[in-house]
Amino acid sequence: MAPAEPNSSGGATQGQPPVKAPVNDPKKKDDKKDEDLSEEDLALKQQLELYVERAQDTDPGLQKVALESMRQEIRTATSSMTSVPKPLKFLRPHYGTLQAHYEKMSDSDLKKLLADILSVLALTMSPEGERESLKYRLLGSDGDIGSWGHEYVRNLAGEISQEYSKRQIEEAPIHDLMDLVVQIVAFHMKHNAEPEAVDLLMEVEDLDLLVEHVDSANYKRTCLYLTSSAKYLPGPDDMLVLDIAHSIYMKFEEYPRALQIALYLDNFQYVGELFQRCNDPFKRQQFCFILARHGVAFELSESIISDDVERNALQDIINNTRLSGGYLTLARDIEVMEPKSPEDIYKAHLIEGRGSGGGTVDSARQNLAATFVNAFVNAGFGQDKLMTVPAEASSGGSSSSWLFKNKEHGKSSAAASLGMIMLWDIDSGLAQLDKYFHSADTHVISGALLGVGIVNCNVQSDCDPALALLAEYVEKEDASIKIGAIMGLGLAYAGSQNEQIRSILMPLLLDGRSSVDVIAFAAIALGLVYVGSCNEDVAQNIVLALMERSEAELGDPLARFLPLGLGLLFLGKQESVEATAEVSKTFNEKIRKHCDMTLLSCAYAGTGNVLKVQHFLGQCAQHLEKGESYQGPAVLGIAMVSMAEELGLEMAIRSLEHLLQYGEQNIRRAVPLALGLLCISNPKVNVMDTLSRLSHDTDSEVAMAAMISLGLIGAGTNNARIAGMLRNLSSYYYKDASLLFCVRIAQGLVHLGKGLLTLSPYHSERSLLSPTALAGLVVILHACLDMKAIILGKYHYVLYFLVLAMQPRMLLTVDENLKPLSVPVRVGQAVDVVGQAGRPKTITGFQTHSTPVLLAAGDRAELATEKYIPLSPILEGFVILKENPDYKEES
Amino acid sequence: MLKVNVKWQKEVFSNMEVDTTQPPYVFKCQLFDLTGVPPERQKIMVKGGLLKDDSDWSKVGIKEGQKLMMMGTADEIVKAPEKGPIFSEDMPEEEQAVAVGHSAGLVNLGNTCYMNSTLQCLHSVPELKSALIQYPPPVRSNAVDQSSHSLTVATRELFSELDKNVRPVAPVRFLTALRSKYPQFAQLHNGIYMQQDAEECWTQLLFTLSLALRSSSSSEDADALKKFFGIEIVSRIHCAESGEESTETESVYSLKCHISQEVNHLHEGLKRALKSELEKSSPSLGRTAVYTKDSRINDLPRYLTIQFVRFFWKRETNQKAKILRKVDYPLSLDVYDLCSDDLRKRLELPRRLLRDEEGKKAGLKTNESSSTKDSDVKMTDAEGSSNASGDSSVSAPGEGAPPEKEKHLTGIYDLVAVLTHKGRSADSGHYVAWVKQENGKWIQFDDDNPIPQREEDITRLSGGGDWHMAYICMYKARDIAM
Repeated sequence: MAPAEPNSSGGATQGQPPVKAPVNDPKKKDDKKDEDLSEEDLALKQQLELYVERAQDTDPGLQKVALESMRQEIRTATSSMTSVPKPLKFLRPHYGTLQAHYEKMSDSDLKKLLADILSVLALTMSPEGERESLKYRLLGSDGDIGSWGHEYVRNLAGEISQEYSKRQIEEAPIHDLMDLVVQIVAFHMKHNAEPEAVDLLMEVEDLDLLVEHVDSANYKRTCLYLTSSAKYLPGPDDMLVLDIAHSIYMKFEEYPRALQIALYLDNFQYVGELFQRCNDPFKRQQFCFILARHGVAFELSESIISDDVERNALQDIINNTRLSGGYLTLARDIEVMEPKSPEDIYKAHLIEGRGSGGGTVDSARQNLAATFVNAFVNAGFGQDKLMTVPAEASSGGSSSSWLFKNKEHGKSSAAASLGMIMLWDIDSGLAQLDKYFHSADTHVISGALLGVGIVNCNVQSDCDPALALLAEYVEKEDASIKIGAIMGLGLAYAGSQNEQIRSILMPLLLDGRSSVDVIAFAAIALGLVYVGSCNEDVAQNIVLALMERSEAELGDPLARFLPLGLGLLFLGKQESVEATAEVSKTFNEKIRKHCDMTLLSCAYAGTGNVLKVQHFLGQCAQHLEKGESYQGPAVLGIAMVSMAEELGLEMAIRSLEHLLQYGEQNIRRAVPLALGLLCISNPKVNVMDTLSRLSHDTDSEVAMAAMISLGLIGAGTNNARIAGMLRNLSSYYYKDASLLFCVRIAQGLVHLGKGLLTLSPYHSERSLLSPTALAGLVVILHACLDMKAIILGKYHYVLYFLVLAMQPRMLLTVDENLKPLSVPVRVGQAVDVVGQAGRPKTITGFQTHSTPVLLAAGDRAELATEKYIPLSPILEGFVILKENPDYKEES
Repeated sequence: MLKVNVKWQKEVFSNMEVDTTQPPYVFKCQLFDLTGVPPERQKIMVKGGLLKDDSDWSKVGIKEGQKLMMMGTADEIVKAPEKGPIFSEDMPEEEQAVAVGHSAGLVNLGNTCYMNSTLQCLHSVPELKSALIQYPPPVRSNAVDQSSHSLTVATRELFSELDKNVRPVAPVRFLTALRSKYPQFAQLHNGIYMQQDAEECWTQLLFTLSLALRSSSSSEDADALKKFFGIEIVSRIHCAESGEESTETESVYSLKCHISQEVNHLHEGLKRALKSELEKSSPSLGRTAVYTKDSRINDLPRYLTIQFVRFFWKRETNQKAKILRKVDYPLSLDVYDLCSDDLRKRLELPRRLLRDEEGKKAGLKTNESSSTKDSDVKMTDAEGSSNASGDSSVSAPGEGAPPEKEKHLTGIYDLVAVLTHKGRSADSGHYVAWVKQENGKWIQFDDDNPIPQREEDITRLSGGGDWHMAYICMYKARDIAM
């Protein structure tokens, strides 16, 4: 126990008699305390007191010996974690004495030596905010910093950051501090304290120093800490941090991670460099798989890879031509190739006693629902029970007979559903869709065009069939055909920034004869093609289109797609949106705020920017009287911004709960959708319960949104609990066609791809956000803000925008020839290992499977064999395995 | 001469020769030979463009070894079927009602659930509907007063409205007619119409209808409603003291189920109600004496109405208080042992036949082909649930073209409607009708909201808590053609 005198009186009060008081005063007290001390301690105490006295001796020799012995005592002292080392404790009363003596000393090595000791003593003695430890350290002998122990270094680092910010304000020089920083960083990096080193460097804003100090032993932990702290940093610091991490990864040839960061930064120059730096063809293939999953169009130029054959092979991978094959491999392995009919999904036999009556009469609404369910469930499998049944099965082919069981615009969705079933398989898909091109029914043609777009979604072919087929139909007079072609192009070329598409679609925007729905879809399609590109030209044209339209036209439910298209151009691009947002302030009053919210929410989507979330919350707190519509996009904005990381996500869920309680009806209608986006394909139980409650809401639009969102959060999970909820809802709402339609769509979504697909735009251990996937989801959510006019009206095919986000949630390991290779893997819940020492387990509660396997949200896989080395540290999607040369078969 | 690769579906035709001096149509004909796809159905894609029949090869910019893609099939072109499906959304509302499988709900016009539930129960009687259709008779007798007439017409109109609509119907006209005929239903309390006793409404309505329809029916079948609902009871009144004995017959529209401590089941309640003691003056003794009245059913109706006597006048609270006791009732009820000997004799034969038929159906399914088809068809008719409306037109008016085989009652009844009450007194709480539809499904008509229910849940309305409990049950006779 330290002497009972309060901390402040010991060191700070200069007015005390310098010699007498500290010596005498504690002695009186210590007389009592001395009895508690062991003999050993007593000896040490007396020894130290002697040193203190000697240090004040006039004889420099004696002084030196005393000081050095004192230093020796301090350095060799060991103590437990919780108590102060004994020498420090016993020297405590003499801190003031020594301090006073130091002031009197003339400059010499001895003075420096004393400064060192004072610096250490200040660790416990220095009053709050005085930073005496740092002060004496700077005056001291500048010796090995680590010799005084970890705690000292840590304390010093803390004082440096305080001192640094103070000097920044005063604009004082900092070079002396930086020398110390270098020492401390070197020490931390050597002693497994990377987070401390990174923290210090972030405080003094000089992360570049880090690069010299990382080595092969600690770069992984360092980078992990850097990348995960980036999420919580304000811009532009986060970019800087990631840049450093990227350069460290490049330095240690950890290319897949470097690529991951390059994609996060959206820096394709880095990607190009990567291909040039890495010469391993297999690794390059692995990069291509990562690029393909991210869903960006990256053109390998000759300057990047000179060899034609290799370049074409790699480009094929980027173009996702293997996606269909890999997905079917997974499906065959899991044995779910057998097509499912909508009835298999509805499972009406499980609903007790309440099946809907009749059933003999076709209901257009219910058939349309079945069309969507069938499309979602059998997506990508190439076969189903409604659309692809062989033609000879019945006269005229039952596929066409199902097609004509849909009414008018329903036929568009039915024809397009074939595209969904043939998803990613361009060759067979186009062959199947061909027959509809020759139909006399404009709705069927429109559906076929849309189908072509869907088949080509996320997959490119070097023949560009979508462009070839759809381009001419954009010019057609019929609005439904036009929309089919426009939407098809948007889906097929999402994220490609294809100039040709722009030249086809842009004239439509400014064509005064185009109806609102045509320009709305054109704006969305352009937004998708140029997603996150900040393309000025496109932005300007959409702005013009918005300005030209009359107030009545802007009141059209579909008009909301115009600002959204504009927003998509700036998806995730933060400040870049400001110029356009400024222009949007001049818009018609009716949509001005709506436009503003949409732009902001898109620009800050996936950034986790807390200020923006607060801004949106503020907008939602207002009670509108004029029936404005901007709060819907604001609520969605909360979700879009805060979906970036788990912590913000949880907070957003809580905030949304508040909005639900206090918000107006238009806010309540958007809340379920926001929840759906936050937990997309990730059925969290608390959100599931909230949505289940809302699905019985008295406001039917809230209920509908809640049901669609139940589908979204369970999308592709086959979650039994959600499936059960929806089944009950289907019997509860059996006589309300609109609500039942929503239940059906949700049921289809839950069994999306028979449970093999996910809608989550995040991939690669939730670190990367695919812009096209997010864009697709956002379009759907905005459409759902006016469910009655759009999804339940005649624009139900906007549901196919979901295809942009559809990806197999698989791990498929392939050998170096890209043939599927089955290896054992452990799959378990991912564990956050940021900042943890040693080599902690990265997954928990794992099970061992053999690939290909399905990965649920939050799951992580690791190889359970030493025989192979994965070429990507992130085991998701396609992963190439290389044989481990060091592997020896056991026994 | 250039060589190109053409991809068609999963096939690749490599090294196809292209004569660039000839129009592309020639090239398409080459492909026709290979694929069988007629040139006009071929779509050939060259790097984002389509190859037109007459375009110039040089402008297409084709290169040696280039990959082309051809789309097209020789499949039949999709044609719309000549007769498209009819969607329920396009149907007129009457047909939709058929498709939905149950009739519409009734809007609550302010404490009128007692009336709504009564109407829904009665509406499920097809015979009543067809009898109403024939009203008013061409020659109107003077036996019916104006208000009864308008009530009957209102009932007729309302029933046909219910059949035609999917959406809830507002029984405004009926309510007005009812209140003008029976002013007690127009009682106000604090300015609002009061809740009424559904049983009262039921009885009064049936009474009016029977009056009106009696006059309308042709003379030989005096009382149509009596045939459907009337129960003839023969009572033997016996005085133990004097040994006097007399019999009397009366006709009632419903059986009462008395609820006392010992009654757990409908059957017990019915038995108890048929035995009563009364005091009246004995002519032989010259003073009042206790007589026991022992009643038996002498004639059964097609629809047997049973009222649970759940309400009694409680003087302290000045309202009809409710007995919450749980009294089970079956889905099919056999009243054989409540019948008089005379009636039992008449029921003997039909019952035996019915047993045989049912035995055949249950046990001898394999012999189905051997049994005459005719009887099979008749049997399903007798089941009554499948096409009650079909045979109702024949059997209901009774006198029109007698069927070859007449239907006979068996004393066995199937539950078709339950009127339940929730709450603590007859003039408060909520009345709801649970009605079995023609397709065999049960629907709970909670005013304007029809909710499908399971058959098991219907028997759970037997009371013993604060949930809905049966107040009036309506059973339909299981008859047999002989």
